Amino acid sequence: MAQDGVVTLDLMNQLAGLPPDSPLASVRALRPDVVRHTQGSYDKLFAPAELSDLTAVERGLVALRVAALNANVTLLAHYRQQLAALGITEGQMTLFEQREQSVTLDPRMTAMMRHVDLVTHTPGAATPADLTALQASGLSATAIVTLSQLIAFLSFQVRTLAVLTLLAEEA
Amino acid sequence: MAEKLNFTADPVEWSAWLDPIALETATPEQIAVLEESTPTAKTSPYYLLLVRDVDVLRERSRLYNAIMYGPRGLPRADRELAAVAVSRVNGCVYCASVHIQRYIQLTKRPEIMQRLIDEGVDTELPPRERAIVDFAVKLTRTPPTLTAADLKPLRQLGLTDQEILDLTHATAMFAWANRLMQTLGEPVAVTH
Repeated sequence: MAQDGVVTLDLMNQLAGLPPDSPLASVRALRPDVVRHTQGSYDKLFAPAELSDLTAVERGLVALRVAALNANVTLLAHYRQQLAALGITEGQMTLFEQREQSVTLDPRMTAMMRHVDLVTHTPGAATPADLTALQASGLSATAIVTLSQLIAFLSFQVRTLAVLTLLAEEA
Repeated sequence: MAEKLNFTADPVEWSAWLDPIALETATPEQIAVLEESTPTAKTSPYYLLLVRDVDVLRERSRLYNAIMYGPRGLPRADRELAAVAVSRVNGCVYCASVHIQRYIQLTKRPEIMQRLIDEGVDTELPPRERAIVDFAVKLTRTPPTLTAADLKPLRQLGLTDQEILDLTHATAMFAWANRLMQTLGEPVAVTH
């Protein structure tokens, strides 16, 4: 993504609708490391060198769910597009966006989605038993670390994008 | 689980609920990422756990350091204030302890931190601190309900777009940090 120190792809600018030469994009560029490693975090979570313990579809569905819980329409559209490219249907996506506890998924996905909701809304309520449940559904310790980083990154992305969008509208 | 700790300005330790890696088994890449993350990372159960996904930790540490320590822009004390306010709202006793200490080192104003510890984010604060805490708290609790009106108090204080973005990044970074600290382990009293 970076050539000669220039960030060529910048998802946050794209999602906030900021042309690279806009005043607000120039303000963002005053902190090149923030721009670079916001994008870098996204890249390593969604296009890692090895998918290892979580599949691309699982990563996308986790992100979709956090975007839905935060009612962020821009991020919802973005992750829908990513999931569509992976072959996930509209119906399947809607299931994850509007998921009620009663909807049956396979045990691994049920455990993951339960954890997404917990970490997104009530992180202070987590207990060791929540991680035991993930392990019992087949997730390794490394997969749980990646899942946690994914949900936490989305929590960062939702908030950063909310303010960028506001500032862009103001300008 | 250990007994629940209260918010404090004293040091607190953190215990992981999953196995951190043993430093002796770390790859050279993992060692390098730990060393650039924070000076104490090689003995920290938190970093030794996160380094299981080394590529994500590398990016996350570089982002964290750029947001919290980057030069110019919003004064570092204000970034620490936002970190404390977010941690207070989310209930992250460990993160709050670390950043309360940093804020006091930078400002020599322990009384502001003591009020946040005792009374929470609605405690009485001077105007600048009030505006920063209000913005951080609203962005923490309900990001979709933020409107242009929420920017006004910051503008009235004279904050530039860059400073508002710095405040946003510090606030959002602690949405991230708190969630890891609160859901992969727990704060424990200092034992030595």
